[in-house]
Amino acid sequence: MSLGIFIEFSINVLSMGSLYALIALGLVFVFGICQMVNFAYGEFLTVSAYALYALGTFTNLPWLMVFLLGILAGVSVAFFCELIAFRPFRGRSLEALLVTSFAVSVILQRSFQLGISPRSRAVPIPDFFNQTILVFGVSTPIRNLVIIASSIILLIAFVLLMKKTTLGIAMRGAAENFTTARLMGVPANLVILAAFVISGFLAGVVAIFWSAKTGSVEPMVGSGPLLIGFIAVVIGGMQSLPGSVVGGFVYAIVANVLSLTLPTTLLSFRDAIMFIIVIAFLVLRPGGLLKGNYQEERVG
Amino acid sequence: MSQASDPKLSDPILSVKDLVVAYGSVRALHGISLEVYPGELVSVCGVNGSGKSTTLKTIAGILKPQSGQIIFSNKSIAGKKPEQIHKLGVALVPEGREIFPSLTVAENLRIGAFGRYSAKQFTLDLEDIYALFPILKQRINQAGGLLSGGEQQMLAIARALISHPELLMMDEPSLGLSPTMVDTIFELIATLKERKITILLVEQNAERALQIADRAYLLSTGHVKFAGQPADMQSTVDITAVYLGEGKGGEL
Amino acid sequence: MNSAKSTWTRFIDSKYSTPAILITILIVLDSFVWWLNIPFIEDICTVATITLIMVLGFQLFMGNSGILNWSYAGYIGIGAFASAIFSMTPEFKAKQIPVMYEFLVNLHLPFPLALIAGALFAALVAAVIAWPLMRLTDSVGAITQFALLIVINTMLNQWQEVTNGPRTFTVSMGRITDIWLALFVAVLVILAVFWFKESSVGLKLRASRDDRYAARSSGINIIAVRYYGYVTSAFIGGLAGGLFAHYIVSITAMAFYMGEVFVLLTMTIIGGSMSVSGAFFGTLLITVSQQLLRQLESIVTRSGFEASGTTDIVLGLLMIGFLALLPNGVTRGKELSLSAIKRFLRIGNNRQKQSKGLDQKPSN
Repeated sequence: MSLGIFIEFSINVLSMGSLYALIALGLVFVFGICQMVNFAYGEFLTVSAYALYALGTFTNLPWLMVFLLGILAGVSVAFFCELIAFRPFRGRSLEALLVTSFAVSVILQRSFQLGISPRSRAVPIPDFFNQTILVFGVSTPIRNLVIIASSIILLIAFVLLMKKTTLGIAMRGAAENFTTARLMGVPANLVILAAFVISGFLAGVVAIFWSAKTGSVEPMVGSGPLLIGFIAVVIGGMQSLPGSVVGGFVYAIVANVLSLTLPTTLLSFRDAIMFIIVIAFLVLRPGGLLKGNYQEERVG
Repeated sequence: MSQASDPKLSDPILSVKDLVVAYGSVRALHGISLEVYPGELVSVCGVNGSGKSTTLKTIAGILKPQSGQIIFSNKSIAGKKPEQIHKLGVALVPEGREIFPSLTVAENLRIGAFGRYSAKQFTLDLEDIYALFPILKQRINQAGGLLSGGEQQMLAIARALISHPELLMMDEPSLGLSPTMVDTIFELIATLKERKITILLVEQNAERALQIADRAYLLSTGHVKFAGQPADMQSTVDITAVYLGEGKGGEL
Repeated sequence: MNSAKSTWTRFIDSKYSTPAILITILIVLDSFVWWLNIPFIEDICTVATITLIMVLGFQLFMGNSGILNWSYAGYIGIGAFASAIFSMTPEFKAKQIPVMYEFLVNLHLPFPLALIAGALFAALVAAVIAWPLMRLTDSVGAITQFALLIVINTMLNQWQEVTNGPRTFTVSMGRITDIWLALFVAVLVILAVFWFKESSVGLKLRASRDDRYAARSSGINIIAVRYYGYVTSAFIGGLAGGLFAHYIVSITAMAFYMGEVFVLLTMTIIGGSMSVSGAFFGTLLITVSQQLLRQLESIVTRSGFEASGTTDIVLGLLMIGFLALLPNGVTRGKELSLSAIKRFLRIGNNRQKQSKGLDQKPSN
């Protein structure tokens, strides 16, 4: 492998990996707190992407404002989903929650088809995102570097949030033992709502970069990131926040390696291969790569 | 604050009346009544399955009562959420300690102080906690799950104390601990009693619990079999009969 | 006379009255539709009968084990493609799918056998992969099944030497499945799922759903009973897929994906996932409402507004509403039986004389 290819590979893995890490983090936040597999997560992202499309197309707001409002859209949809659709099922079976989130996902997708268009819409993106720049002699779009930099900043911010703030510590406690956290005065509604808000925030951030990459948005755009999130989360171990970040990077590495090494005839089976790996992980190593310390205590 | 020796001068801080609790269709409590006055240490004894833990869990809000009243500081708390009840000043040291295993000791304590957290107050409270539990100072940055059973129990008590509760409820604090550690825990409870902290203590180790209690209740299959002075309990009720007669499981 | 009556009474009160009622309703309905001879309605009814088979197979595993079985749609797809490959003549296959593997082109079975072979193949796939997956429950189990659905769908959608890839797969030039065949298979499947539910495996499976730990401690091999349920369910799914393929005639892998799971889930949940009657009435109710909604949709669309997709939105809202308010569906998790109908009628006629004498059937 020549140095150029290696650098290109590294940049790809880093930019994809950090994006996937953010996706996975958004899923794990909710799963860790209320054990809920949120199938509507992809639609949080879709809502943000549509907001970017609308704001970028029909207003003259500065980019920063467009981005912030786009993220806000993701946060709001997550907030209201929890409040309206998921809260009534608190304390019910996990299946009921899962099925509800699946129904919410379908409802949102069809609403986009109905209310906006089944066809894709171009999302305007600042020009400099797609300008290329030379990194160690390899030219790459600036957006890759933006993704890497903002992911690092966000990850540090989240580490601080979870380690230093009372809410963050309470959320980690609630993820380990929800009832005891409530006994210590941590309000269930607050923690779960916070998890959804963070999840929606991450979906909003991902939406910016995802749209920058694809340049468009369509009703089903969220399903791709959702699947990636699932894979990364399973690899990382379902519960663990650092695990999900690792899972995101591992997925990026595996996906890139498969793309480089698989013969073209098998390339179309990449998804199948990835999900076979996922199943193998679930069967053989349900705790993921970074086994959370006390997974076993959480059975039933 | 009233004297522990003559608590009835004031109103009870906690008063439970005719509490009925069921798990599905199985009744665990058949109309329990009990009272705790400010500053006193009340022991609730009974064998496994007599309803001791169920009583505490219901007061703390983990279980919802079918009927009956729970009045704390003149407010009805029956059926309220655990976090609401905690906010009113009831703290529970849960059975089995329930430490957050991957959180550090400091973080565990910080969750205990949730809702009233301020960095300044927390530092002051920590000093207080260190004075009571010197071992926790050494372990402050260790993960809770790595502590020994006794250390975890201390952490659980500290975590409840740091919220400055008006009523401290302890569910089987000596369960599963070594004999020396049991001594330490009971000494600690005695210290807390000296500090005039109101305590509702559930214990299977009736002998030890009765030694330090101001008043005691004996539960059996969800009924109150005795209420009064600990000394009278031994004389009026045949404790061994209650314990042995229905002690299907006995001690662990 | 007397003994005949007591046999009748016993039948009314027994659990055997449930399949008898469901089968009677189905036969009457399908015959009536056939007699009406309106192609549009007969079409809806045939698809509904095939859908009923799908839902019954779906309910068989999900209802008895409590595990959300995403991969089921994949087995319907496997059954559809496999039975089609078996039933098509080599010449037709060679013409339709030039890239197909030689040995597949040469496979050929007469139609009814091809249908069974397709279902058996779906069951075989399930039998080979399912054992290690049966350990997993709750969220992990659901994600595993979800991942499996994606794997199966990718294979169906990409393996062009077998399924013609993402392109349309033409099974035949004309319909092979008709309403009578669908009805016949549906009757057999109703009997089979009842038999399964009351069999010792079904009983153990339900025990494991209600209390995993109690079931295990009373000596039930949970993995084994789940495995039997899963493979049986895959067989029924494969059967329904075969019927579907030979009715719709041209299929693509995307027909057997999330959208299909959504519809099956809606039917199962609104009917009541715990009972076979629930699957039955859920299918009927949702089919009728789907048709009504689609009519509405097309009326609205013709008047100039975009309305396609409204059906799914309404179904999704219905599903959430049912989950929240009536989690055991319209049947409340019970089976419809003659004695239940009798009781209902009696209560309806005379509210004072509520018959407490007749024992309530157990709710599962």
